[in-house]
Amino acid sequence: MKKEYKTMCIGEKLADAASLPKDVVMGASVVTVLGSDEVIIENYRGIIEYTDSLVRVQTKGKQIRLCGKRLQVEYYTNDEMKITGCICSIEFCT
Amino acid sequence: MIESIIRYMRGYVKIRVEGESTERFLNLCSHHKIFIWGLAPCDTAYEMYVTIDGFRKLRPLIRKTHVKVALVKRHGFPFFVFQNRKRKLFVPGFLLCVSLLYAYSSFIWDIHFEGNETYTDQVLLEFLEQIDVTPAMPKGRVDCPQIVKEIREEYDDIVWVSVSIEGSRLFIHVKENEDTFLDEDDMENSARADEAVSMENVAPADLVATMDGTITEIVTRSGVPLVHAGDVVKKGDILVSGRIEVLNDAKEVTGYRYCRADADIYADTQLVYENTISRTYEEKVYQQKEQRIQFYLTVGDVRVSIGSKAHPFEKYEVSTEEYTLKLGENFYLPLNYGKIHVKSYQTEEKKYADRTVQEKLTEDFQLFCQKLQEKGIQIRDNSVRIYLNGDVASAQGTLYLNQAIAEAADTEIIEMVERNEEDESIRSDN
Repeated sequence: MKKEYKTMCIGEKLADAASLPKDVVMGASVVTVLGSDEVIIENYRGIIEYTDSLVRVQTKGKQIRLCGKRLQVEYYTNDEMKITGCICSIEFCT
Repeated sequence: MIESIIRYMRGYVKIRVEGESTERFLNLCSHHKIFIWGLAPCDTAYEMYVTIDGFRKLRPLIRKTHVKVALVKRHGFPFFVFQNRKRKLFVPGFLLCVSLLYAYSSFIWDIHFEGNETYTDQVLLEFLEQIDVTPAMPKGRVDCPQIVKEIREEYDDIVWVSVSIEGSRLFIHVKENEDTFLDEDDMENSARADEAVSMENVAPADLVATMDGTITEIVTRSGVPLVHAGDVVKKGDILVSGRIEVLNDAKEVTGYRYCRADADIYADTQLVYENTISRTYEEKVYQQKEQRIQFYLTVGDVRVSIGSKAHPFEKYEVSTEEYTLKLGENFYLPLNYGKIHVKSYQTEEKKYADRTVQEKLTEDFQLFCQKLQEKGIQIRDNSVRIYLNGDVASAQGTLYLNQAIAEAADTEIIEMVERNEEDESIRSDN
């Protein structure tokens, strides 16, 4: 636990200490998974790749990789996007 | 749902984006706040929906990202209007539709009753018709408080009425007085009791046996009991006398006092039961191919029919189904339709099976017993048996009952005048 705390940046530590939501302070992405067929991603930078079996979304610092079948973007706005389809995996890659 | 209606009203298009940097195009769209939905990959391209405003803003993005955008389909009301711009009558028709809808909604088309149990909808409707409240009347002429007043005045049993207009429906909620019938019953009972009391004062009566039997229980309230439990009585025997002897100190009868005898007297009686039914019966066998159906429609006095009901059948059944077309619940139109069905049949003589006959006779007997029990007659035993003789089946036997056998009859009035005179003559002799 201590080690983890040491690796955190100042902003993160501040957010942690002040109990502020990290998505607001740090711009961390919010990934909401509803069952296995609906994912809502907030706080992202943009789509890097999109096919019906793979969606790669760039967030601040990391990429979110969604693998599945028949993937479809229900809506795509500046703030959030909703992906539906048969989702097999969600990965965070650097 | 609301979102899709708004989208439809504003109009939207389906576009197909093709090129090398389609992802960049998507990101630019979101950056320029162009709302995209229904994004789906299609071969090497993407298909998506975008609003008309969004579509107009796409040009610089297309130029920047070197993608090809093709319009696949147009959706929404603005496109619908544009497509039908040459249909001259469409707009007047639409306006007429709206105006008719508005005009028709200013009439009462239906009258709905709730809470009425004794007064049927039909009765209340007829009354409303008398006071000029009918379906298809203008809403403006409906005076709810007046209707309430009229209904209250007409029907005493209705203790509460609420009249309201809901859309084009007149909603009448009534509450009936549930105690009305109870009160009537009570009044009848009390009247009967009063009558009995007055009768008691005027007409003395004995209690006589209505049938032969053996007394099992006797509880006398007034009068002199002449029988006891265990006595065998015949029909017409006096059970309780309404004439009470007045004795002097020497135990001699000096006079009579009369009253209306009252007692509960139960006796064991016997009842001969016999029920005979025929074992043969006629069964109708309908001829599937020999039938006529006529459909008809009646508008006012004009009747239009399809098909014929003329037939050469010897034995036939005619059934008619008729329906009246109505709007809502109570607005009947002068339009009736229905069908007349003529079915030919042949009769076949059949015989009931032993078991069926037994079941029928048993059922009849049980019904008979049930009726007796409803009258308060107790069935102690029975010796009823079923006999099957050729074409006739019968249930015969005796029922052993226990029932009230007393019946009021006028008391014989004995005049004591002569006896008094005799007494006086004896005294004078002395």
